[in-house]
Amino acid sequence: MIAREMFEEFKSRFGPLIDRADLPNDRRLFVYVDRSVVKFVCQHIFRELDARYVASIGSDDRPFSGKFLVAHNFAFDKDHLLCSVLTQLPENDLKIDSITNMVPAASWAEREMYDLLGIEPVGHEYLKRLVLPDGWPENHHPLRKDVPWNEVPEDYNEDAEFKFGETPEGCTVVPFGPFHPTLDEPAHFRLYVEGEMVRGCEYRGFMVHRGIEKLAESVMSYNDIPLLAERICGICGCVHSVAYVQAVEEAAALKLPLRAEYIRTIMLELERLHSHLLWVGLACHIVGFDTLFMQSFRIREPIMWIAEKISGNRKTYAICVVGGVRRDINDELKDELRGVLDKLESEWRPVVAAVSKDRNIQKRTRDVGVANKFVVKSAGLVGPVARAAGVDIDCRRDHPYAAYDRVNFDVITAQDADVWSRLVVRMNEVFESIKIIRQCLDKMEDGPLQLEIKDELPAGRMGLSSVEAPRGESHHFVITGENNRPRRWRVRAPTYQNLQGVPAMIKDQQIADMTISLGSIDPCFSCTDRLETVDLRSGAVKVWSQEELLEKTWEKVTAK
Amino acid sequence: MDGSVVWRILGGALNVGLVLLLAPLGHGVLRKVTARVQSRQGPPLLQPYFDLLKLLGKEDIESGETPPMQRFAAYLSLAAVLTVACLVPMGFRSPMNGAADIILLIYLLTLCGVCTLLAGLAAGSTYSLVGASREMMSMITLEPLLAIALIVGAVHTGSFRLDAVLNGSVYQVSRFPWSGLIMLAIMVLSFQAFVQRVPFDTSEAETELMEGPLMEYSGPKLALFKYAQMAKLVVYSALFVRLFVPWGSGFTFPLAGLVFWAMFWVKVLVMVLLVTLVAATHARYRIDQAIRFFASLFAVALGALVLASYGY
Amino acid sequence: MSVLSKFEETIICLKAGRVTLPYPAQARPLPENFRGRPIFNAAKCVGCAGCANNCPAREILVYDVCQEIRILQYLGRRCTYCGRCADVCPEKAITMSLEFENATANISDLGQKLDLFMSTCQRCGRCFKGVAALEELKMKGYRSDDIQNERWIYRATSFLESEPAVDDIKIELD
Repeated sequence: MIAREMFEEFKSRFGPLIDRADLPNDRRLFVYVDRSVVKFVCQHIFRELDARYVASIGSDDRPFSGKFLVAHNFAFDKDHLLCSVLTQLPENDLKIDSITNMVPAASWAEREMYDLLGIEPVGHEYLKRLVLPDGWPENHHPLRKDVPWNEVPEDYNEDAEFKFGETPEGCTVVPFGPFHPTLDEPAHFRLYVEGEMVRGCEYRGFMVHRGIEKLAESVMSYNDIPLLAERICGICGCVHSVAYVQAVEEAAALKLPLRAEYIRTIMLELERLHSHLLWVGLACHIVGFDTLFMQSFRIREPIMWIAEKISGNRKTYAICVVGGVRRDINDELKDELRGVLDKLESEWRPVVAAVSKDRNIQKRTRDVGVANKFVVKSAGLVGPVARAAGVDIDCRRDHPYAAYDRVNFDVITAQDADVWSRLVVRMNEVFESIKIIRQCLDKMEDGPLQLEIKDELPAGRMGLSSVEAPRGESHHFVITGENNRPRRWRVRAPTYQNLQGVPAMIKDQQIADMTISLGSIDPCFSCTDRLETVDLRSGAVKVWSQEELLEKTWEKVTAK
Repeated sequence: MDGSVVWRILGGALNVGLVLLLAPLGHGVLRKVTARVQSRQGPPLLQPYFDLLKLLGKEDIESGETPPMQRFAAYLSLAAVLTVACLVPMGFRSPMNGAADIILLIYLLTLCGVCTLLAGLAAGSTYSLVGASREMMSMITLEPLLAIALIVGAVHTGSFRLDAVLNGSVYQVSRFPWSGLIMLAIMVLSFQAFVQRVPFDTSEAETELMEGPLMEYSGPKLALFKYAQMAKLVVYSALFVRLFVPWGSGFTFPLAGLVFWAMFWVKVLVMVLLVTLVAATHARYRIDQAIRFFASLFAVALGALVLASYGY
Repeated sequence: MSVLSKFEETIICLKAGRVTLPYPAQARPLPENFRGRPIFNAAKCVGCAGCANNCPAREILVYDVCQEIRILQYLGRRCTYCGRCADVCPEKAITMSLEFENATANISDLGQKLDLFMSTCQRCGRCFKGVAALEELKMKGYRSDDIQNERWIYRATSFLESEPAVDDIKIELD
């Protein structure tokens, strides 16, 4: 009865300020308040009740209720509760009090609401462009329902530049990215450097923003979206597709067959295995230790092969549909998977033992990129970054989903909050994942793989789902809709939150440590930048302008 | 007289030719052995030759701030290393025996490092300047180590001549050669830095600095720099072998000279293998950690120099 | 000791041996349920357009030439090899092959076109209801994608209008 107890607590505290509350089950709470008290309620939840900030979502609900909707999501990890504070805004007065000065983690989410929907957070101190490119015209908000999904605005200004802040005194500017050998994806950190020490930085990202949320709302259907969600990220695809289908299943109150839950759990843990092994290799490559990079990838390869055998592809498993999974793991595959796990464990243990004694790597990673408990709470950091600082959060245990409530595993934490602790946490989580997969294989029951869904899914229902990606908590919010597609789908990837903690991590450190600090949050920029409209630019050659490029392509097409 | 001039020219040309021929092969061995340690196939042994050929054929884009200085730095780097090749006795007497001494050798070796500095400063971009400053900082603490090794040899033999010093002179004392062994240990610990390999290649760290000083080079000039780096590996290994493990020239059986010459190159190859193994198993150190390390080695080297002057 | 750990690491590396293959000279065999390029079998196809309705990339176009003839065209350009077409097909006319080396300079190599002779429904001449509610796109009426320009038409009534409904991404043809 946790949700009800929390609701009673709110009622006793706020009473008539609450317009409406939905308690669909014991672990979810949706509270509608008037917009003037949103900040007050969020303050109570974040400060006094010590909840964790998760995401803020804006939605254009005009075709259905005539208003805009804003939601702030919080998590009570010890009580296994996800809570959402919602408010409705009239179209002609799209302003809401910003909660950023109290919950710094909400900074990006509010800037995103402003960019994409036009909802202005009053009192936000750093309201610059976040998501849309710099030349995008003002007052053109793509996520609104009256803007078509493939619109290219005519007054797009290609030469506009982002206005960075003033350089602090005595510092030179070292531009890090968007093109840098360490980063696999583009991101721009403008470092203010004094000698070899970084004194501050500014971030401009969202360069691979692709328009996924808008596509999902306009042209895809419920079962097409898991395939799109899988492609949000290059490593943690399964996580996003599972999180999405879980949100839909929660909104429509569907109960999965047990076998499907076990299979989903196995695929999620396989993904965690290959992601962590890849990250250990990548971290060693960043500090120049290529040999361990190659060895991690060699040890990781059998996981990719077994995933290919089970699902048909090494990484994009395409295994989730709403109501179940598409492919089965038969007994032969089970035995093979057990063999792969045994070999993996026997190869990984010596590597972990060798690395733990290796002072050479420790010299590069101890006391580097420190993000202590205070930074974790205020910036809302999640995943191994938070666990390395001693904050004991893990969605698999706190907000159980799929088959996690039926398996035993430990949550690995460390105390030093530096890059070395994150390395240790990730290396040891590999063993926990192996333990979970073995338990799932033993406990898997026979049964159907998918639910038979004969009717349409009900429209207008909300679903929240938090899934533990290898990088942290991936949170999806779905409002179901008509025409076999959702009305709103919001993806909050873990790197979205973790990137907001990077400036605190690299301050007063050396430039050489910048890359490993950034790498230690395991950044997945493509997870972070999910939304944009279609971009016709080819993006490769820098010397040409957009008009010249378009002219070139038209020339070729018409010259046939 | 005439014979000795002809001898010098031929000997110098032979040395330079051998270095030019064998340096890419040494680099190929390094890459192949690294690949073997990393459990992969690795490029063919002759790949560096093809890489250099490819670079020489590419378009030469001059994108730094001061292109004339960039050109000069590129030519100077290879030229300096090849001149050192003329000075070091590689299996036979040094071609420049009477004409040069170890002071010139020390200067030429420092010049090789200065070329990277010039390259970085001439390029003028942020990352090149950071790389150049790192190179400056490491040169100040690193070059003296080799200089002190040579000077210890000079103190022991009492002369600056190349064939006297570069003949295992660090051990040539009547008592137990403490200074020689100390210098051997110091050179072994810091050798990776001289040949710009992990764990001490901070000035050209690819993942951190996008190749640092060499960032603005392309095509033929980059080929010159890469060639200079490969040649440095061979030349420094040769120097190390001559200073610390030169033995084997005392035999008198027929073709002893040829055998000794072949053995010399085998020893150089063994040095290259050692460099590879250390490079494959270590992570890169940060610049402040590297400098602290060299500074402590420098203090010990000074101690060795004091011991040498007392005859130990 | 740090040196010992380096030895341990080196021994781990050398014990493993060489694991990379000289691809493309030697390739790794694929598992049998690998999701490669889908192959459409016109002999088995009944023209239900279930594949077209469920392709997330909208790469299968359907065009009704007349009452009896339906053209089903798989464009293959943006195919994500998800396999939903093969899952949904009631006649198992689509198989996911093992081909993944599909790069080509000639974009029409990727396409497959099926000309189907349809037998008609006795009552209205044209109906097919999807298997389950979630599998439908809620589009009723004639299907008439723009085969000439290889564009998927979103609005079902577009066959009544002369102008194309939306602009798709223009892809250069050879």
